[in-house]
Amino acid sequence: MSTTVTQDMSFLHLISSASLLVQLVMLILVMISLLSWWFIFRKLFVIRNEIKKTDEFEDVFWRGVDLNALYQRTTSSRYASGSLERIFAAGFSEFNKHPSGTDLDAVMESTRRAMRATYQREMDYLESHLSFLATVGSVSPYVGLLGTVWGIMNSFRSLSSMTQATIAHVAPGIAEALIATAMGLFAAIPAVVAYNRYASDTDQLATRFESFMEELSNVLQRRAAE
Amino acid sequence: MNVSVSRNSSHSEPRSLLAGVLAVLVHLIFVAMLIFGLNWKDHPPEGMVVDIWTELPQPTREPVKTVPSKQEPKPVQEPVKPKTEPPKPEPPQSELPPEPVKSEPPKPAAPQKAVTTPPVKKPDIALKQKPEPIKEEKPDLQEQKKKEQEKVKEQEKLKELEKQKELEKKKELEKQKELEKKKALEKQKELEKQKELDKQKELEKQKELQKQKEKEQAIQRQREQEAKAQREAEAQRAAQQAAARNLVTNEVSKYKALILAKIRSRIVMPPDLPGNPVAEFNVTLLPGGDILDVRLSKSSGHAAFDSAVERAIFLSKPLPLPPDPALFGEFRNLNIKVHYRE
Repeated sequence: MSTTVTQDMSFLHLISSASLLVQLVMLILVMISLLSWWFIFRKLFVIRNEIKKTDEFEDVFWRGVDLNALYQRTTSSRYASGSLERIFAAGFSEFNKHPSGTDLDAVMESTRRAMRATYQREMDYLESHLSFLATVGSVSPYVGLLGTVWGIMNSFRSLSSMTQATIAHVAPGIAEALIATAMGLFAAIPAVVAYNRYASDTDQLATRFESFMEELSNVLQRRAAE
Repeated sequence: MNVSVSRNSSHSEPRSLLAGVLAVLVHLIFVAMLIFGLNWKDHPPEGMVVDIWTELPQPTREPVKTVPSKQEPKPVQEPVKPKTEPPKPEPPQSELPPEPVKSEPPKPAAPQKAVTTPPVKKPDIALKQKPEPIKEEKPDLQEQKKKEQEKVKEQEKLKELEKQKELEKKKELEKQKELEKKKALEKQKELEKQKELDKQKELEKQKELQKQKEKEQAIQRQREQEAKAQREAEAQRAAQQAAARNLVTNEVSKYKALILAKIRSRIVMPPDLPGNPVAEFNVTLLPGGDILDVRLSKSSGHAAFDSAVERAIFLSKPLPLPPDPALFGEFRNLNIKVHYRE
């Protein structure tokens, strides 16, 4: 008696021969992975751009440019402004709206409120989709694991109906099931790394914005007192 | 107003399309890696053909490998080599007969050529050289002499030609004879080869028969050995089972006796009962010797004795049980008979 075991173990064959639920899980994971990579690249561009703009604006601001000229430059549509510039513009316009006779404390209070509101919006914009990356990082391994467990369950169930059980009967099923875990990890690992990186970057930007707000309110207060 | 305007203009994301393209690119790279990385398993694994032998191959193969390797070269190859080698030079001889023919009879051929060539060349020279002096001295006599000489020479030539022809005939005959001899030799050799081949075949057949016989003998031996081993194993098993049963029964009876003794030691016997009444109890045990349930299955007829025994059973817990948990099945439902007098 001779038995020849020839199993096609190529990647595509493994996927196509997987059970429906495993294939569904793989499809979901591929879509999740695509989305998360899309967000990773988008956030990468956005945050890098934001850091660059913030550096530039702080450089210009602390070089001692006239605030009115800076405001004009910021609000002009030709200039693609960054978050920090928008915060500055919001505060400065609010400061200038008040007539010169009003109480300084009230003026500073409303200026600070305006800047804080813009700051909140900007931070909201910078942190958008970061929660998606966090969710992908924490959930997609479990989704992949679900596919794997299901595939292994099936392969063992089919094993139970055989009189002669060998590893060759289970191996393809387990291999195709493990692809789901691999996909989940492939989606999760970059998402987690990117989330941590972007979270720290946005935190740094937030502290820079906040300190700039404080400094700008000092500058404006001094300017009003003069 | 300013804020809202600036906000609307601000959040147009830079290069979101490029991000999407990059994301797709990353996945394409990953898929390509998977496909080309996993394709090394695409070839069916070799050497997965499994032959399952009903008999062990070692005893049958060892004689097959050792015996023929010693036998075959001696009877088969030794006769084959000397006789297979000579036929190889033969066919070239038959194909190119002149070479060996000339080499074999060079001695007769060489004088023949020496004989044939001079008469052919010398007469020409003689005819050209000699007539010139003869013509100058004596024309008639010389002519007669010439004619005579020519006749003599012609006769000599004829004789020589005849000799040559005879020699050629002889040569041809010799060649024919040699060819015939060679053919005969070849036929003989072919016959010998066939005989050898027949012998070889017979030897092979004999060897195969021997191998088969050896295999059959080995199989028979194996079967006998297996049968012996089976018998021995069965005997051993039977002995072991018997021993185990003995052990089990010994253990069970020993612990039953221990239980009974323990219960007996706890009975406070009611005094002065007539005869030897017997109380029977069904006791259900838990593993560990605890008592789950005690039921009076057959009363002794004396309530005082029955209750005394029941109390004693409860008092004597935990009951002694064998340490082997496999034996607990024998003690789960105990039937305990207690006699009033021992």
